[in-house]
Amino acid sequence: MADSEQDNTDRGDGDNLKSDKLFTLKKWNAVAMWSWDVECDTCAICRVQVMDACLRCQAESKKDFYGRQDCVVVWGECNHSFHYCCMSLWVKQNNRCPLCQQEWSIQRMGK
Amino acid sequence: MSGHRGSGGAGSHQGGPPGLKQIDLDQIWGDLKEGIEQVYNRQCMSKPRYIELYTHVYNYCTSVHQQLTRTSTKSKKGQVTGGAQLVGLELYKRLRDFLRNYLISLLKHGIDLMDEDVLQFYTRQWEEYQFSSKVLNGVCAYLNRHWVRRECEEGRKGIYEIYQLALVTWRDNLFKHLNKQVTNAVLKLIERERNGETINTRLVSGVINCYVELGLNEEDPGAKGQNLTVYKDSFENVFLEDTERFYTRESTEFLRQNPVTEYMKKAEQRLLEEQKRVQVYLHQTTHERLAKTCEKVLIEKHLDIFHSEFQNLLDADKNIDLGRMYQLVARIPNGLGELRNLLETHIANQGLAAIDKCGDSAANDPKVYVNTILEVHKKYNALVLVAFNNDSGFVAALDKACGRFINSNSVTKAANSSSKSPELLARYCDLLLKKSSKNPEEAELEDTLNQVMVVFKYIEDKDVFQKFYSKMLAKRLVQHMSASDDAEASMISKLKQACGFEYTSKLQRMFQDIGVSKDLNEQFRRHLTNSAEPLDIDFSIQVLSSGSWPFQQSVTFSLPTELERSVHRFTTFYSSQHSGRKLNWLYNMSKGELHTNCFKNRYTLQASTFQMAVLLQYNGATMWTIQQLHDATQIKMDFLLQVIQILLKAKLLTAATDDETELTPLSTVELFTGYKNKKLRVNINMQMKTELKVEQETTHKHIEEDRKLLIQAAIVRIMKMRKVLKHQQLVAEVLNQLSSRFKPRVHVIKKCIDILIEKEYLERTEGQKDTYSYLA
Repeated sequence: MADSEQDNTDRGDGDNLKSDKLFTLKKWNAVAMWSWDVECDTCAICRVQVMDACLRCQAESKKDFYGRQDCVVVWGECNHSFHYCCMSLWVKQNNRCPLCQQEWSIQRMGK
Repeated sequence: MSGHRGSGGAGSHQGGPPGLKQIDLDQIWGDLKEGIEQVYNRQCMSKPRYIELYTHVYNYCTSVHQQLTRTSTKSKKGQVTGGAQLVGLELYKRLRDFLRNYLISLLKHGIDLMDEDVLQFYTRQWEEYQFSSKVLNGVCAYLNRHWVRRECEEGRKGIYEIYQLALVTWRDNLFKHLNKQVTNAVLKLIERERNGETINTRLVSGVINCYVELGLNEEDPGAKGQNLTVYKDSFENVFLEDTERFYTRESTEFLRQNPVTEYMKKAEQRLLEEQKRVQVYLHQTTHERLAKTCEKVLIEKHLDIFHSEFQNLLDADKNIDLGRMYQLVARIPNGLGELRNLLETHIANQGLAAIDKCGDSAANDPKVYVNTILEVHKKYNALVLVAFNNDSGFVAALDKACGRFINSNSVTKAANSSSKSPELLARYCDLLLKKSSKNPEEAELEDTLNQVMVVFKYIEDKDVFQKFYSKMLAKRLVQHMSASDDAEASMISKLKQACGFEYTSKLQRMFQDIGVSKDLNEQFRRHLTNSAEPLDIDFSIQVLSSGSWPFQQSVTFSLPTELERSVHRFTTFYSSQHSGRKLNWLYNMSKGELHTNCFKNRYTLQASTFQMAVLLQYNGATMWTIQQLHDATQIKMDFLLQVIQILLKAKLLTAATDDETELTPLSTVELFTGYKNKKLRVNINMQMKTELKVEQETTHKHIEEDRKLLIQAAIVRIMKMRKVLKHQQLVAEVLNQLSSRFKPRVHVIKKCIDILIEKEYLERTEGQKDTYSYLA
């Protein structure tokens, strides 16, 4: 891994100016995982994890290019969450949250 | 040859020139007969003379006769019923008598001849007779056209056109008496040829032509097409018997004195010879029966010997002989089955032996393992292609054998699981695709990946491969260790082709995430430069979508204050870009660089986040107990111990005890200020042992769990369709549905059925044993 194999020559280019700490942090490559901020990680309508595209979108397998960005999550005022695709079909029949039967109104959309 | 005056009472002489249409047969017969004799003696004939003879026949046939009043003719009845009166019977009879007499006297010359002499005689006479009869037929054209045709139309038997009359007469008078001799002579001649002599094939073909020509269709003389009864009865059947006898003797004799390989050459040559024989001088219809006869005697009777030799040839890699044997045995219906079985067993054994031979290195070195498999496959694939003509049965045998030895061999047995093969194959892929000093050229890599797919095709537990592959791909991507994005994409698309969209969807998503992260870092950097306060460290991040990556969720960890700001800034930035998302930091996957100010030289340490957290503690004091470090960093104790062990090994820290394994929470660990390294950039980020072990264990555990889900899903799918099903059938269908992914074990299927009964997807049908019904 080491790409410099110089011998022990001190490069005293004013490093003692920086700090007197023994170790200083230079670089950090972080890894993080994102997920939808939901209470339940399966969509109650299609029974697929909200992180995955909903059943319909999977069947159309259009995520090759768009990814699940296309199949986002939607939160209702009741704080229940579903695939946006699933929910928009659901409200055509019944404008209530399938989990709590409250009137459905969108609180926010995933992005 | 003495003339034969027609004394059969053709009526009284009635004088008068032809023009009067009152012509009696005797008036013309004298001259006509002279002419016919001239024809049969093969003397030259001028055109006028030919016309003259024709006219004789014409005149006779067109003369007005008083045959009606006569009583001696058989044709009377027929002619009464007919409308016009046609004349010809008397002439026809005389012609018949003439031919008969001619042939009877001819027979006297030939009856005592044998062998080649009789052939000489027969073929020459036949050719001459056939020619002369065609001329005669021409002379009698008028008779054929009118009288003969009328007779035939009225259904009289035994009346032929003159040429056919000639043939029938030949058959009855000459052929009947001579054909035994002639056929025997032909057979003797053929046998001599088979024994290597050169023969006059014209003699044979002359006879054959004659036999073919003699095959008249007696029922319907006018019918077109040949009737080969004479040829078949008098020649072909005898010939085939003779052939069978000859080759039975020869092949047994030859095999006694020669090896099978020589015999195969001989048989091949013999078959070719017989095929040529038909072309040169026999009738084409004989081809099939002759070939069948020869194949039976030359090959089928010796199949047992062939089978035992096949193994020897395989052992000795005699590909050409194997090809020859295939060509021979392929001629026998259903003859190849045994060869296929032998081949399958042989390949499987070769594969097992090759892997055995590698010993331990096969189990530990994926490259050795995969290449060993590939070598065996390549060798026998070539054999099947070249020697066995890519025969589908042999391809299947190859596939079966490969499937057998790849999924169960000494390596998998030593590991006690068939999943060792997919694991090693995935490791091999990792070797190929990971950045290293020995990365092959692009074209070569592509080729090698294709080879990998050859082995992949045979892997039973494709789900295991998927697990390991995605693990290693994830690592390559996150650590930026991929040798080439194109090669990664190409491999994923190959897997997709082989196993479908679902199999690779997660791999593809991982690939996408890395691209998205690249853009995200770019945007974040721009955001930082635009903001007034830049971060004081070089920060980059990869944001992965959860669910696609085979990483464990994060472990407990208390973030060093030095990193807090970065995390905070990025989190704010990220939520401004997206909404409804939360971030879960994988500190165990993150890493960074530290500068040291406490040693003689200023080093750059490449370290894991945990290592960084521990080292940063030493900014506060140069000595800590392990318990104190644990309290400060919140790293789980067994993890922390390993982190510290690595730092001790790297000689950055020292402990009171020399033995690293005896560390307890109360041990103190001190910074080693005398640290020295030849390099100024030091990578101290080694993977922890338990991490590796845990990883492998969880991989296998995950596989078992995923399989249970897949099996349950399959059961539900099947039952939803069938509604009611017997246990055995259900198990069979599950096995079938999942065969492209893995081979479920029956007891696991049973367990899954029980789970589903518990979950009320299924129930046992009442009153029926071993039957389930689906609960909607």
